[in-house]
Amino acid sequence: MKLDLVKIAPWVAGALALAAAAVVVSPPARVRGTDQDGFSRLPVLEGGRLKPIDAVARNSLLMIRSQQSFRFEDRTISADEWLLDLMFRPQVADRMPSFVINDPEVLGLLGVQQTSERYFSFALLAPHLDEIQRQAQAAHAIDAKQRTRFQSAVVNLFDRVYLYWKLRNTMQLAGTRGLAAEIAGRAAPDAAARQQELTEVAAFRPILPAPGNRADVWRTVGETLRTAAAAPSVDAQLAAWGRLGQAWATQDANSFNGAVAELTALVASAQPDALRLTGHEVIFNRAQPFYVGMVIYVLALLAVFVSWLWKPELFQRAAFGLLVAGAAIHTLGLASRIVLQGRPPVTNLYSSAVFVGWGAVVLGIILERIYRKGFGTAVAAASGFASLIVAHHLSADGDTMEMMRAVLDSNFWLATHVVTITIGYSGTFLAGAIAIFYTLRKHLAPKIDPATSKTLVSMAYGIVCFALFFSFVGTVLGGIWADQSWGRFWGWDPKENGALLIVLWNAIILHARWGGYVRERGIMAMAIFGNVITSLSWFGVNMLGVGLHSYGFMDKAFWALAAFDASQFLLMGLCLLPRRFWAGAAASTPAAGAPGGGSGAVKPA
Amino acid sequence: MNSPALAKTVAMKLLDLITSLKLTIVCLAALMVLVVACTLAQVNLGMYAAVNQYIRSFVVWAEVPGTGWSVAVFPGGALVGLVLTANIVAAQLRRLELSWKKAGLWIVHAGLILLFIGEFGTSLFQVESRLAIEQGQTLSYVERQRGLELAVIDVTDPAHDDVYGVPESRLARGGDVAVTGTPITLRVKGWYQNADLVNRGPADPPSPATAGVGVGVAVREMPPVTSDDDMNRSAAYVEPVAGGRSYGTWLVSNVLGAPQSFIHEGRTYQLQLRQQRQYLPYAITLKKFSHDVYPGTDIPKNFSSLVHLSNPGRGEERDVLIYMNQPLRYDGKAFYQASFGKGDTLSILQVVDNPGWLLPYISCVLVAAGLVVHFGISLQRSMRRRSAAASVQGTLTS
Repeated sequence: MKLDLVKIAPWVAGALALAAAAVVVSPPARVRGTDQDGFSRLPVLEGGRLKPIDAVARNSLLMIRSQQSFRFEDRTISADEWLLDLMFRPQVADRMPSFVINDPEVLGLLGVQQTSERYFSFALLAPHLDEIQRQAQAAHAIDAKQRTRFQSAVVNLFDRVYLYWKLRNTMQLAGTRGLAAEIAGRAAPDAAARQQELTEVAAFRPILPAPGNRADVWRTVGETLRTAAAAPSVDAQLAAWGRLGQAWATQDANSFNGAVAELTALVASAQPDALRLTGHEVIFNRAQPFYVGMVIYVLALLAVFVSWLWKPELFQRAAFGLLVAGAAIHTLGLASRIVLQGRPPVTNLYSSAVFVGWGAVVLGIILERIYRKGFGTAVAAASGFASLIVAHHLSADGDTMEMMRAVLDSNFWLATHVVTITIGYSGTFLAGAIAIFYTLRKHLAPKIDPATSKTLVSMAYGIVCFALFFSFVGTVLGGIWADQSWGRFWGWDPKENGALLIVLWNAIILHARWGGYVRERGIMAMAIFGNVITSLSWFGVNMLGVGLHSYGFMDKAFWALAAFDASQFLLMGLCLLPRRFWAGAAASTPAAGAPGGGSGAVKPA
Repeated sequence: MNSPALAKTVAMKLLDLITSLKLTIVCLAALMVLVVACTLAQVNLGMYAAVNQYIRSFVVWAEVPGTGWSVAVFPGGALVGLVLTANIVAAQLRRLELSWKKAGLWIVHAGLILLFIGEFGTSLFQVESRLAIEQGQTLSYVERQRGLELAVIDVTDPAHDDVYGVPESRLARGGDVAVTGTPITLRVKGWYQNADLVNRGPADPPSPATAGVGVGVAVREMPPVTSDDDMNRSAAYVEPVAGGRSYGTWLVSNVLGAPQSFIHEGRTYQLQLRQQRQYLPYAITLKKFSHDVYPGTDIPKNFSSLVHLSNPGRGEERDVLIYMNQPLRYDGKAFYQASFGKGDTLSILQVVDNPGWLLPYISCVLVAAGLVVHFGISLQRSMRRRSAAASVQGTLTS
């Protein structure tokens, strides 16, 4: 019976994980009888791209509150419900704790003492808007890198207030009698000014293009009102939005659902593809595949830890099952992004983090299939988890599927150069992860096991070869892309230099090994240093803020990067400690094994 | 030890050194140091200066603080590159046997050598210029991105101009410059690589200029710019002399718009300090520049220039669309969409002459193929060893 349990362990663990993931995708419950699911799929144009209104709601709430839903008056408010309130019942939304504020000085500006409460409502901010704007404008004049913590925080708060304010005035101007009234009074003498304001501040465009116009020229509410000012009737879609707004304001579920159905039908007849695409994106956003994947990777890692202490075979296999389930969800998420965006997997810093993790996990699974000792699972789950955490933090900047700037708008080069170089990052990180695993094992394992160490070294060596190949090819392809778009193959741009450093470092590791200059511990310490080089070339060069590649400027991450690199140096130190410091050294005689820690090296030819 | 034997030993030692794997590693490590230094230096120096200091140099110099002396602190990129190339070639020839097992390494290293040659070639031969062209305009020259010239233009004939250029480097040396093709000699009385040009105030010292707009302008010398985005505002005082007669001292600068001219023996000559020009045997007309953004945003979606290419010499008349990632390669030059201005009516094309542009493409293919071959062979060997070990273990346990 026990043997059977071991055999089915990976299947059971994997299936449970997938089942849990499927539960997350289930459609949202009706809120007071209103059809939230139907509403969430309505397409609008924002950031140059057609997306479900659900994506606008989620990304906005993520930017303003750093969360996709929150608790308010003993209920969980979804992003969609929040947006509906913001647009059509601003008096309710303004009382919700929509803003996260962590900076004590900014809180001081609002006259609030810092406590454990980090979330604040617009109503609380409202009396201080002028002051926030004044401080933000003063800080804006200063270069982003030179700003103090307070200045960065106040600029950040101002940007979020501005986004909130735009959303609040996209469908109807806050403080007016609502969209339905605006439609009825569209020809009134004072209406033109309001229509102009609606056009200017609109955060997104909810109305289909005018007949005969290009399919991507969606319209704002203000524009549509203005064109209909003299006409006997307004656009059917605008009228339906008006009814939807009124229904939400009065919480009339029946007429709300009627308006949603009508809006859906109108878009379906004009742009059937749009509705299909937004439907997919709604499912994708709801499923949060990278978040779910991250949780499953943690479980896999925990199962590996348990396997070292108790029932090794059972938990090692269960861990592998979980890892594969996590990888499957991760892969589905990547594939959905590719389909939704119509782009190769890596288009920005966020997606590079997702892809680096995916590459490391897939390599780890292959290693596990070859060696079957649980190391592959451990390093793959750890790398997958780590990179998805990084991605999670990068996603707080808003839409992760933004449109590509002209210079990057080339699926061919995104698919070749960017993907190859990102696989190179994956490989270098995975080799580093194996080396860290090796180091920790040396210091924690109760007995010295030269065979396992040798296996780990040969795994790391293989992965370094792999990483050298992909980072070299990726780097040169990048040069070729630069030659195609800027006219120079190699410009010593910081990002290019970062990629070159990875290539050089991997080449040094391999040559040092071939020359026999480094042995086991040396190779492993060098592999850990590869993590430092890769993290710097991936994120560090963006912080310099120079060069043609500095699209993804970021300063918040500086300390995280510094801490990561410091930890890697510490691990290198641990790795290089002679064997008498190892945990298992007391148990065995120092003479066992070759001096310098075994033979990872070969003699030069 | 007799001297031939000694020479032989020394030669062997030298050969050992130049072919050693240690040297390879030292060179790679030195390159890493240079690349890091060059990257960090770009924050303050700008890309062009940083690359010249660290990469395209044989020695990296550093100033001893407070003395003004420079000392060599590190080998430059060019030197390291040369040594590494020599090392690869020598090691390859001496150490690596000709066998199928090593075929991958041969290909990889051949590709790398080609890549280094390409980068050397680029640093020596690549010329970058630009073509700033307005809609409807026809131009038959490109302007060098770096480097000015003092153009002496004979505009007497309304049908065409005769242009005689004196390069910036010649002006910087000072002294008398005979303008070939004309009877004019220029006396250079002052050269400022970067300067502020302001209207003369009462406190300013008397101007060296005796003719032209320079009389009313004061020149204040500035340190040369370091950022790649900034441009030096250069200025010079020159005195044209012809037939033993002086035509006054003129202030010329690339920021002075209006051309200044004088007449010698019935011929009118203009003086203009401007970007060095290269005239082309063909003409380019900008028919239309397009700049699209994604609706509702200011994210650029596409830039493109529709140009007409006219080369009577070859009987070519055709329209070409130049857009991002799609340059026009013509007659040894490549034209790239680089920038734009003047409310989307001006298109700026980057123009590059690089005879070695194809080398990296070949090298990339070679190295990639070589690595696949080499790692493929290694992987196959290690798999075979593993399966052999597994079967031995299997025999032992069964």
